[in-house]
Order: sequence, then structure tokens, then C-alpha cells
Amino acid sequence: MNNPRSTRRRLTATVLAIMCVVGLFVGRLVDIQVVNAADLNKESLGKRSINLVEYAARGDIVDTNGKILADSVDRYDITASPKLVKESFDRKDAKGVKTEVSFMQAVAELAEVTGEDPAALVTALTSDPTSNFVFLAQSQTLEVQKAVKALKIPFVFDQVRPSRTYPSGAVAGNLVGFMGTDGPQAGLELKYRSCLDNVNGTSTYERSSDGVRLPGSTVTTKEKKDGGTLKLTVDSDLQFYVQQTMNTRAVELGADWATAVIVRVSDGHIMAMSDYPSIDPNNVNASNGKALGSAAFANAYEPGSTMKPLTAAMLLDAGLISQTTEVNVPGALYTEGGGRIKDSFSHGDLHYTTAGIITNSSNIGISLLSAKMTPKERREYFLKFGLSQKTAVGFPGESTGLIPKLNANGKWGDEITTYALSFGQAMQTTSAQVASAYQTLGNDGVRLPLTLVEGCEWADGTVTEAPATEGVRVVSDKAAVQTVQMMENVVTQGWLSSTLQIPGYRIAAKTGTAQVAENGRYGDDYTVSVAGLIPAEAPEYAVVVTFGKPDTMKTSGAAAPTFKKIMTQVIKTFRVTPSTKPAPNIPQSW
Amino acid sequence: MSSNLAYATPQRAARPQQEQHPRQIEIVSTREQRRARPRVVYAVATVGGLFALFIAQLLLSIVISDGAYEISALRVEQRNLSRTEQALGENLDLLASQQNLATQAEGLGMVMNTSTPMFLRLSDGAIFGAANGAGTSGSLLGPDGALVANSLLGAIPLAGDTEGAESTDGSPALSASGGTGTRTSTTTTTTTTTQKPATPGALPSPVTR
Repeated sequence: MNNPRSTRRRLTATVLAIMCVVGLFVGRLVDIQVVNAADLNKESLGKRSINLVEYAARGDIVDTNGKILADSVDRYDITASPKLVKESFDRKDAKGVKTEVSFMQAVAELAEVTGEDPAALVTALTSDPTSNFVFLAQSQTLEVQKAVKALKIPFVFDQVRPSRTYPSGAVAGNLVGFMGTDGPQAGLELKYRSCLDNVNGTSTYERSSDGVRLPGSTVTTKEKKDGGTLKLTVDSDLQFYVQQTMNTRAVELGADWATAVIVRVSDGHIMAMSDYPSIDPNNVNASNGKALGSAAFANAYEPGSTMKPLTAAMLLDAGLISQTTEVNVPGALYTEGGGRIKDSFSHGDLHYTTAGIITNSSNIGISLLSAKMTPKERREYFLKFGLSQKTAVGFPGESTGLIPKLNANGKWGDEITTYALSFGQAMQTTSAQVASAYQTLGNDGVRLPLTLVEGCEWADGTVTEAPATEGVRVVSDKAAVQTVQMMENVVTQGWLSSTLQIPGYRIAAKTGTAQVAENGRYGDDYTVSVAGLIPAEAPEYAVVVTFGKPDTMKTSGAAAPTFKKIMTQVIKTFRVTPSTKPAPNIPQSW
Repeated sequence: MSSNLAYATPQRAARPQQEQHPRQIEIVSTREQRRARPRVVYAVATVGGLFALFIAQLLLSIVISDGAYEISALRVEQRNLSRTEQALGENLDLLASQQNLATQAEGLGMVMNTSTPMFLRLSDGAIFGAANGAGTSGSLLGPDGALVANSLLGAIPLAGDTEGAESTDGSPALSASGGTGTRTSTTTTTTTTTQKPATPGALPSPVTR
């Protein structure tokens, strides 16, 4: 014991042993803290941390008064884990009393709450017992989700599924568009993705063993971004009235399609735009699978006589005619190549003024007047009116319509086409284009860009997608006013005056009964329309009502009653003040 | 250390003797020395402070973890409430849909004025528009109901039907006689309490409930 040498030796051994152990620990420490630190951290985080999807809402679509047309809502998928399915389980009620619930009983309860078929639920739950996830019911409402939760079935779960709903249904449904499983499919939902689209965020947090979020552990890995609110120019109440009235009439007439467009003259805003057949974006499958866009933008048709005021306006603008230019209108106009232009009624030589030609919708008269202008100029005027090109709206599937191109000689092929273009045949327009052209006439000859969207409002108050407001001077102030005056005579003296007049108001309108060309020939089908302005002395609204291929009545008389109803509603909605002076009486004949 | 050399006794030995006498002179440490000397109070303050910190941290973490449960519970509550709010808002939007309002209104016997629109200016009572005899009225929806579909509306009952169902049920909330009674009393109070400041320019009209 007291041998110092042996003491020293034992001391050395002990120290060495301790150092060995310490070295071992240090080595392990370095291994854990430095060498494998990253992997271990990851593993531990994986055990504690939860990844969370922060759902952002797709932007709403609202009408001009802020009424919601498209809304983002939460729906719930009811899911289950077949792995956890057992013959029976205990259910505790609020007082803590346990009752045993058998599997079949639970399925029956679940079927009752979700409205699913019990047999299908059993199959889903039992066909693959190793699976950890099956859908039991998809896109359920909060009510159903709450009821399912209240059942306290241990193998049933739910998850959020962001969805889209359209509380007003088919009101402006064709404009709003709809969503499919892969996102927006049509309409403004599709066109304004830059405004409406949401970006879901992600975040992680750590949770304790009892599932509670650890304070301060939340890390947002990606910020969520809600979509902006898309504000339309459409007034949804007026839109409903117009759609209801148009759809009722379209069914009565057996029309293939029908459109109505109401444009505010002062800024080119579309206040209502109805399409028949209407789509209910909540249930697109019920819309017969056809016409999923907006007919007012997509359907290009030969407009017919509603184009006569445009022809008159361009001739007035060029100073080639006046309201009272005297024309000898023969019973028929024979053209080169054996063509013949007729009027809708047979007559001998008539002595019409320009106003008389418009009032009585004489094809021959307007053809003779149009001969005063070169085709090149006429085409340029048509283009300035916004024809043969998409409107400023740029709606998905929008048609450009067509004003035929001129040949190398600066002509339109044959003479009959040259004449026909003056009364709206041999050309194609969309209802939106006609409404825009009438807005031009009402706005003293300045065409403003047709506008369907007022803008996209973001959460921070900024507004993007502001519409263009720069107008194009198409015809002179004087030419436009004189044209509108002549259109007033259609309402005061034309063949539909009894149907079109609204006491106390001055209305300018022009009817159109256009033949529909099929397979290169004009057949028995017509496109009937009435386009007009109210009040005529200082137009505020342009209204265009069009029915495509009606069966029971094939003249513009079919559209006139509906036009009047819509005009009346426009007066009521926007409180248009009655006119104080009577319409001018322009000589119709000489 | 053996040595035969004489050596002076160290002075220390004399100290006890000195201490017997009251000290005449004391060496006072300089202020710097005193200041430089560690003080007990500092040590106590430091150690005490540390303990205070430990205890504060302990308490804080207790509070925080307590708060974590509260936050968690509130988070769940907030989520549930916002879900409920959304569901109710959705339902409200649906009830406010034009199809529902039109159907309900016509179900209650309301009609639409289809005659020429006329306006009354409240400021001077001037009438605008051409009077054309008796006003005509009509139904907007017609026999087929709304032709502007809304597939979400299927389950909403007509307002008139709901009332009828409630009274036939004999539900305590609104029995037929009780309902009429309340209504009459409402009317009477309305006629007496007209002192309410009327909106300037508004038409005098009974307050309907």
C-alpha cells in the first residue's frame, strides 16, 4: 500500500482508464454533434414537426354593387383509415358514459349523415384493410362535417377541400365562367387568373407529445397569398331580370340562342349581358354540354338592318348625305351578276328621304345611298366602329366577326356583296360589337372601349386591371346625333312603333331581321334583333336584343316586346328621367 | 535549517504586546484600495440575480407552456368560428340570390309593375313620366319559375310555406292567434310613435317590421 511506485502505477492506470472513457464519450459527442448532426436534427424534427398547408382563398367575383357572384368556400372530404377499422369501438358521450358501437352500426350512421350508399361505404372501408386512406364522401358542407365529427368514429377523419360556389347561380354565369377539377375552365374565372388565383402557403410547427403546438416553433416556409376581388361592371339584379326575360322569350320563340347586351353610353361599361342558354356554374353538366361560353361574345352572325344606322352615320359624317337626301327607291335593285335586292315589303317606286329609308328599313334605299362612298372608306368606317375585331373585353372564345376584305381593286368582289354590306348582310358581328357600335352613336360618335371588369381589388386596397378609357372618334358629333334622330322615327313611325314606344320616353331603335346563311345559301332561318338607345335626346344606355334562329316568329317583331321590357327595366333600375321634348319629325318622303 | 548564527527575532513576536494597547494609529486604506476590494454585496447581488433569473425563466416557461394550451384551444375555436361564419355567410348569399328573392316574393303574392315607369320627386312632389291609366302588373317568373338556374337553391322552402308549416305544427314560437296579437300591437305602437326624426325628403310611411 505504501509502495509509492505501485501507487503511481495504479494512478496512471486509473487516469488512463478515465481518459479512455472520456475519449470515448468525446468521440461519440463529436459524432453526434458534428458528424451526424444534420441527419439527426432532421430525424428529430421529423418526429416533432408538422407541415401545414395554409390555404389561401381564390378571389371573389362581385358585381358593380359588390354582390358576390363567385365565392371561395371550404368543403370537407370525409376520409377514413381502413387500418384502424375494428369490429366495434367504444363511444363516450358528453357525460363520459361509454357505449359500444358495432362497425355496421357506425357505417349506417355515417351513411345517413353523408347521404352515401351504406354498401359502398362498407366496400371502401373493408376492401383493403392495410390501406391507411380512403375517401368516404367528398366536398361535404360544414354541417355534414360537424355531424360526422359528432359520431366520434375512431377511423373516420376529415380534411379541408377549398371549393368554389356561385350563390346567384346562372345570373351572369356565362360571363363569370366556372372551375373544373384542374382549375378555371371558362369565362372570367379563366381570363382573370392573374387577379383571382390564390397561392397556398406552407408552414411548419413543432408539437409536444400531447399534440399541442410548441410556442414560438411556427416557421412560415411560404407566405400564402389570397386572390384579389374581381369587380364586374354588371348589375346582377338587372342581369337577372334581363336573363329571365330573354330566356322566357327564347323558349317561347324556340330560338337556338339569344343574347341581350346593355351598355352604359358614357363609359362603355356593360351593365348586363345575357346569354341563352344560360350556364349555372354550380352545375355545368346540367347545361347540356353546349354553349359553355358567352354567346354575346362568341356567336358571330349576320346582323341585318341594325347596321343601316351605321351606314347612314358614315355617309352623314363624310358629308355625302343629309337626313333629308331624296332617294327614288325602286321596287327592286338588280345587280351585276344577276343579283336582286328586295325590301321586306313589295312596293313600286317610293320617294324616301334618308330618314324614310331608316324608318321603313329599305334595303334598296340604303344600298343606293351607300354607293356614294367607296368600299375602302366604308370598310374603314366599319373597323372604326369596332367591327371585324375583338372588343376591348377580350372574352375567352370571343369572335372577331367579319367585314370581308377588299380585293386588289379595292372592291368587295361582287356588287351584291357591296350593297348587302350596307344593310348588314354578307358580314358578321357579335352582339357585343353591335352594342359597342350603338354606344358610339349614342356617345356623339366616340367609341369607348367595351368594359366588363371595373378592376381587381387587392387586400391592401390597390386596384389593378383598370380598364382602358381612351375613346376613338368614329363619326362626327353631328352625324351621330342626326343618326340617332332618324332612329327615333323607327319608334315613333315605324311598323313596330306600337310595340316599341314607352310613354314619356324618347327611344331610338333599329330592328333587324337577317337571313342566316347555311352551307353558302340563305335558308329559312333568321336572326332577329332590336338595337336602340335611351333616352334618345341624350343617350345613356344602349340595348341590343338578339334571337338566333327562332321557330315560331321569324321577324324582328319577335324581339320587340322583349326589347321594350328590358328598356323599361333599364329606366327603373337606373332611374332614367323622362324626356321633356317630343321627338323631332324628320320628313320621311318627298 | 540548523544554524548557529544569531538572528533577530522577527517583529511579529512583539505584536501581541502591541495589541494590548489601544491602537493609536490605524493605517487607512486609500479610497482606491477600498473601491478595488470585492464587496460581499456584489456577490450577493450577482448570485441573487442569477437565482432571480432562473426563477423568472422557470415561471415564464410555465406560463408559456400554459399559454400554449390556451393558444391551441383558441386556435381551434377560431377555426371553428370562422368556418361557421363562412357557412352562414354562404347561406346568406344564397338566400339573397335573385332567384330565391323573386320566387319568395311571388310566393308571397307580390307582383311586378309592368306599366310605364313614373317617378315622384320627393323634394317638391313633382311627378315625372306619362300617366297611362291603371297600372298593369305581371309575374316575372311565369309558370315555369326562374329560367335562370341555380342548382344550390333546391332545399330552400318558400317563405309562405314555412309560416304555414310552423303554425300547423303548433310550435310554441308562433301560434296563429299569438302571431296576430303581436302584429296588431305593433301596428298600434307604430301609429302613436311618429315623433321619430324622419329622413329629410322621405315619404311618410308606417314603420313595418
